[in-house]
Amino acid sequence: MNRGFFNRFDLTLFITTILLVTTGIVAIYSATYGGTSVTDFYVKQMIFAVVGFCIVIVLTYLPPRYIAQSSYILYIISIIMLLLVLKFGKVINGNRSWFYIGGFGIQPSEFAKIATVLALSNFLSNSEEKKDPNKLLNFVRAGLIVAIPFILIKLQPDTGTSLVFLSILIPVLFWAGLNPFWVLALISPVMIAILAFLGKTYFIAGLVLILIMLFFFKRGWLWSSAILVLNTIIGFSVSKLYLNLKPYQQKRIEALFDPSADPLGSGYNVIQAKVAIGSGGFFGKGFLLGTQTQLKFIPEQWTDFIYCMVGEEFGFLGAIIVLTLYCILIIKFINNASLSKNKFLSLSCIGFGTIFLVHVTINIGMTIGVMPVIGIPLPMLSYGISSLLSFLFMVGIAMNAYRNRNIYLT
Amino acid sequence: MDTQNKKLYFFGLVGLILISLTGRLAFLQLLNQGDFGKESMKNAVKTITETPARGLMYDRNGKVMVDNRPSYTLVITPSSFDKANIEEVANLVGMPFDEIKTALEKIKGTNRFNPAKIKRDLDFKTISYLSENKERLKGVDYQVEALRTYPNNFRASHVFGYAKEISEKQLEKQIGDYYTQGDMIGSDGLEAKYEETLRGEKGYKFMSVDVKGREMGSYNDGNSDIKPVNGSDLVLAIDSDLQEYAEKLMGNKRGGVVAMDPRTGEILCMVSKPDYDLKIFSGPTDSKQFATLINDVDKPLFDRVIQSKYPPGSTWKPMMSMIGFSSGELTPKSTITCEGSFTYGGRTWEDHGAFGPITVVTAIEKSVNVFFYKLGLKCGIDNYNKYASIYNFGKRTGIDLPNETYGLLPSQEYLDKVFGKKGWNQSVMINLGIGQGELLVSPIQLACYCAAISMNGIYSQPHLVQKVKNSMTGEEEALKFDQRKINMSQDWFDVVKKGMFLVVNGTGTARNIKSDEYVLSGKTGTAENSRGQNHSWFIGFAPFDDPRIAICVLGENAGFGNAFAAPIAGSLMVRYLSGNKMDVYKEDTTGGVND
Repeated sequence: MNRGFFNRFDLTLFITTILLVTTGIVAIYSATYGGTSVTDFYVKQMIFAVVGFCIVIVLTYLPPRYIAQSSYILYIISIIMLLLVLKFGKVINGNRSWFYIGGFGIQPSEFAKIATVLALSNFLSNSEEKKDPNKLLNFVRAGLIVAIPFILIKLQPDTGTSLVFLSILIPVLFWAGLNPFWVLALISPVMIAILAFLGKTYFIAGLVLILIMLFFFKRGWLWSSAILVLNTIIGFSVSKLYLNLKPYQQKRIEALFDPSADPLGSGYNVIQAKVAIGSGGFFGKGFLLGTQTQLKFIPEQWTDFIYCMVGEEFGFLGAIIVLTLYCILIIKFINNASLSKNKFLSLSCIGFGTIFLVHVTINIGMTIGVMPVIGIPLPMLSYGISSLLSFLFMVGIAMNAYRNRNIYLT
Repeated sequence: MDTQNKKLYFFGLVGLILISLTGRLAFLQLLNQGDFGKESMKNAVKTITETPARGLMYDRNGKVMVDNRPSYTLVITPSSFDKANIEEVANLVGMPFDEIKTALEKIKGTNRFNPAKIKRDLDFKTISYLSENKERLKGVDYQVEALRTYPNNFRASHVFGYAKEISEKQLEKQIGDYYTQGDMIGSDGLEAKYEETLRGEKGYKFMSVDVKGREMGSYNDGNSDIKPVNGSDLVLAIDSDLQEYAEKLMGNKRGGVVAMDPRTGEILCMVSKPDYDLKIFSGPTDSKQFATLINDVDKPLFDRVIQSKYPPGSTWKPMMSMIGFSSGELTPKSTITCEGSFTYGGRTWEDHGAFGPITVVTAIEKSVNVFFYKLGLKCGIDNYNKYASIYNFGKRTGIDLPNETYGLLPSQEYLDKVFGKKGWNQSVMINLGIGQGELLVSPIQLACYCAAISMNGIYSQPHLVQKVKNSMTGEEEALKFDQRKINMSQDWFDVVKKGMFLVVNGTGTARNIKSDEYVLSGKTGTAENSRGQNHSWFIGFAPFDDPRIAICVLGENAGFGNAFAAPIAGSLMVRYLSGNKMDVYKEDTTGGVND
């Protein structure tokens, strides 16, 4: 092959993806090994990995304008699917988020992620003047694009996936030119709420941090003090609200942060997951030899808790390798976004990179006990056809952005 | 802010997350590995499944008909089993090497730490050998299980049915996940129909084991264990003495007998011949013996009482009379002239005599064909279908056994479909009038209809099981079955029953079974069979004034109704009414008379 090929083909991203998908198949094989009825999950995952890589190749070579042009249509289709699934979907684990067609479950929310990022990117890249995110009307419009699928998914009620949607908005707007001051204004209340819950010291430290940042922005005392007051109010009302909750509700929230508070209930998964990973040691117990994994101590270990298998059977070494692969992948997304001269593809890469980052952080964080249990899959490792295909779709777009990085017009 | 700067923000965020996650991983896996490692060792729990004994079956007088006996089953726990020992185990239990290997491969689908059943019914010598060599033969063990045993001198194979090891297909198709490989599941007869009642609920004992699979005592002091619930017992309506007698009378003939209490629908005895030895299915099922049963041309696995369907022949005549009354084509007093044969559309249908103008009573008594040829023609297919279906013809009676046939009650649509809209005419009604032609019925349908006639229209759902007895609490629960009143005039039942009375007690076709002690009534039937000798039918009830038993007997290719079926039915009715004392059976040697 000539140098021109590699010049336009993102080999690093491609190989990283292959390594992660392969690890996923191996992990699913082990997690379902000797199971009762689910022994063929790894085969299904393999088949759809092949399908997914075909999608990656097709997307790499597709003219970018086709993707941009179809983004709104895809978005509308996704919204219709989300409406339909609320009415006709199958309930699994308490969420009405699945269609069942010919033995395969399809999760419209996974595909809505793609469509939402594409639609948002298309909206923000259409014509430079009008789409300045610092203008209130544009900001509200962009917010609506994300809010509609967010609400529909929250109704399923799949809280985990809906949070992923919310997380897209600020990074993409920031990339599109939203002033960092507004980013701070949007993020700080969430941060303060969590810190206030953790304790007074955290809360005060958070407030001080915000104060320092406000000072550096120099946006005038009116806006700055408004944000500070708002955050202070939020901080105080969080602990008030918490005390007004019923004891069992308090316990549930407590267990989000401290699993030992409810070891047989919601904390069970986290404790078992931590034991699995912790007992892995440096080199792990060996493939198919993890007692936690093989004795099926961890529920859903082939989907949301797949990282336990990696940590237990392949040890710290395996866990770090997987984590590093994700970092390479996410950095490639950001890099391709900054290389691309096509604003639509650039914004899409940032959106997708954010989705990867949020999934990896929340999922791995949850299995090692530093994040609350929010049921979202580990990208390309967890079993799940819809999520595998949608993550590979994102990789395809990033490959396309790399290939067409020097072309300005769509 | 330019793109390069923005990129740095993102990189910073990614770096921060990478560092915190790595730090946390190092904390868990490198610094605390010891603690978590111990935790995970403690964590390994072995589940021992405790299979409850299946419920027993009693007859109506409390006599045990289906019992359990203890037996030893070889189990292998794959996680600790050394495959080098396969050969020794194979020789020990007398199982081919390959069979054990395939059985072990099948286990792959289940938890490797759970023992899987390999072979049932080990002898004592094998058990002692296993105990002596326990240390060496790791992962090989035995479990006590209950197997079926049948302590009486009769088989009732089709009534009891059998439980056998669950097949891979059944495992895949099961709803829920109760069954695992090696479990027994009711596969035919009552064992299948009442599977969930009989099987009980499995229990689970949890043992702490270390990673090597060594037991470290019971987990959580046994507080997490789930005790098995024994299967509940069935109390059947079957009278075991009558059952034994009926099987003896049927001998090695092919056919079926079913007797019921017409007042309740309770089945008193039920025989389908040829039958099979249920012992084949208890203990290690021999695949060769099973194959022989399946391939036998006489179909011993087939339950003739509820699954066979033949034309009812003249046993249909009381039904045809009810159709005639209901459609207004017949009254108890009206006469039809019988000339000895009947010609319609250029074709002639024969009879076994010329009887002149007669009423329905005589027509039933002497089984006069011309009477019913003409009546069938008058009523037409729509009335025929409408009124016969009230007696559940063409429907299931709802007996508590699996795979009951519907039989076949022809209708206008059916004939249109089979022959085409113009391919048939009214002449089909001539044959249908005497219970021949397209009409097909099962013995259980005939027995229920005969019972309903004897009870002046009270139709009871036939059933084998009276009560379910909870084996843990001893409480009995009576099962509920349907009973309905057929809305037809008492005058009609009176004349039809008078005809059936005269069949036995007058100058009718079954006067050979007249009893001095009990007033029997009934109707013979002979189903023409184009492929061989006729099928012999008899339906009857007794005593005439206060029926306590209704019966249907079928003899495949056994000739005239009064030659084979009537003597068996008569003797059974007498036997039952005499409290299982009298035996009046005399085999027919005359060849019988045409009905």
